[in-house]
Amino acid sequence: MISLQHVSKTYRNGVTALEGVDVEVEKGEFVFIVGQSGSGKSTMIRLLLKEEEATKGDIYVGGKHLGKMSSWDVPKLRRNVGTVFQDYKLLTDKTVFENVSFALEVIGKQKHVIDQRVPEILDYVGLGDKLNNYPDELSGGEQQRVSIARACVNRPLVLLADEPTGNLDPNTSVDIMRLLDKVNRIGTTVVMATHDQAIVDAMRKRVIELDKGHVIRDQSRGVYS
Amino acid sequence: MRLEYYFRETAAGLRRNGIVAFAAMSTAFIALFLFGLSLLISREFSLVKDAWTGNVQVAVYLTDPAKPETISRLQTTLGDLEAVGSIEYWDKARTCQQYDQLFEGQEVFQEGVNCEEAIPTSFRINLSDPAKYDQITAALSCIPNDTGQIECTEPGVRNVSDFRALLDRLTTITNVLQYGVLAISVIMLAAAVALVANTLRMGMFARRKEIGIMRLVGATNWRIRVPFLIEGLVEALVGATLAIFFLFVIKVLGIDQLRGSVQFFPLIKNSDVLWVAPWVLGFAAIIAIIAGTIGMRRFLDV
Repeated sequence: MISLQHVSKTYRNGVTALEGVDVEVEKGEFVFIVGQSGSGKSTMIRLLLKEEEATKGDIYVGGKHLGKMSSWDVPKLRRNVGTVFQDYKLLTDKTVFENVSFALEVIGKQKHVIDQRVPEILDYVGLGDKLNNYPDELSGGEQQRVSIARACVNRPLVLLADEPTGNLDPNTSVDIMRLLDKVNRIGTTVVMATHDQAIVDAMRKRVIELDKGHVIRDQSRGVYS
Repeated sequence: MRLEYYFRETAAGLRRNGIVAFAAMSTAFIALFLFGLSLLISREFSLVKDAWTGNVQVAVYLTDPAKPETISRLQTTLGDLEAVGSIEYWDKARTCQQYDQLFEGQEVFQEGVNCEEAIPTSFRINLSDPAKYDQITAALSCIPNDTGQIECTEPGVRNVSDFRALLDRLTTITNVLQYGVLAISVIMLAAAVALVANTLRMGMFARRKEIGIMRLVGATNWRIRVPFLIEGLVEALVGATLAIFFLFVIKVLGIDQLRGSVQFFPLIKNSDVLWVAPWVLGFAAIIAIIAGTIGMRRFLDV
């Protein structure tokens, strides 16, 4: 599903964020990317979304070679890759329903599709009763659920999560992890960058550890360190 | 669904940018108004030029009734002159057509005068070189009389009208007015482009979070851009509509008041303003396109 082969990324200011990274992720896997701040976790996520181009090496997502992909095809890639961030990235002037429907609306989905899928996915993440609330009226955990619903509403093949529990307390974090696990069980490949040790240790999933841009550990059913 | 989406986004954009959008619209309006005005000025003066001179430098009037052999003899004589660039014979029908145009709507001239009798036929001549005008008067043995008319002794020729000075003056006035107004309108057009581009940029800045999400979830570049492009187009077209409206106002309140009180002076009509309208609308579209290109260049690379 995801394949990085000898991938290096050096930013224009000379900082090398990734160097010689080789990673294979199969369909349906759940993978943690762990490491210190600045170890290259976020860069890896950005590369997979083609927000950044690899300086060297080849990246494949869903069988597509990102380096050879024209900018016209990037939106298609992103429709197949859901994203969740630490800061939720919700629109505060839209309701929960509107935040999720926005993601379908802007890729040209028909109204009847939206009206069917949005309540469905919000129900799935446990917010079936908060459709008309605004993000301000929700707790952090609930806001992250909205953002997960938005990432999943178009049924992506891959879900990328960059520190999704970074702003949440431990109990809420566990709830979010249960939800991500649930999303993973229906076949979505999940890649999650985190430095939340407790969660990684509790989940016992595959762990890839980055340090200064290098993969220093790739362990199935691993722990944080 | 799709259309509704675009309209909703555009309306929201205009509302959010209220004052800046207003500035962009009014600048576009002034720019396009001046642009239309310069077109109307040139239209008006070309009407005047045409009516007064038939847009030729020299007219050789023949004595009525002109015999066919006289016409062909003179056509050969004049056509052989080096000074003559082009020569055209205006018979009664062509002559009266111009007369009707010149005195359109002025009943005294339309009904009180029989054009066929009053106005002689003529050769309309454009010179290859205005300085060689004397060749014509020499060939037809013409001399100016005391009243300034140029009378000729060549049989069949009544007199010669020299429009060179008049044409020069008209052309100068037209150019000064038209290009003056056009120059101001070009500056205003540039300002309009800058302002429309600025509203687009502000709009995109205000919505950078939304745009970021749209890109993340896989909206195409066009899907993101089109609402802004429509917004720019609406601003420019509102300006254009106002400009066309005020050109009509000028024509009705200004030009139409003169009608009847100035004689020998054809005036632009509604159809002339209508002729200008597509140009104004076209330039509005150009403003929007350039502004869109400039305004969104930076923001939207995937």
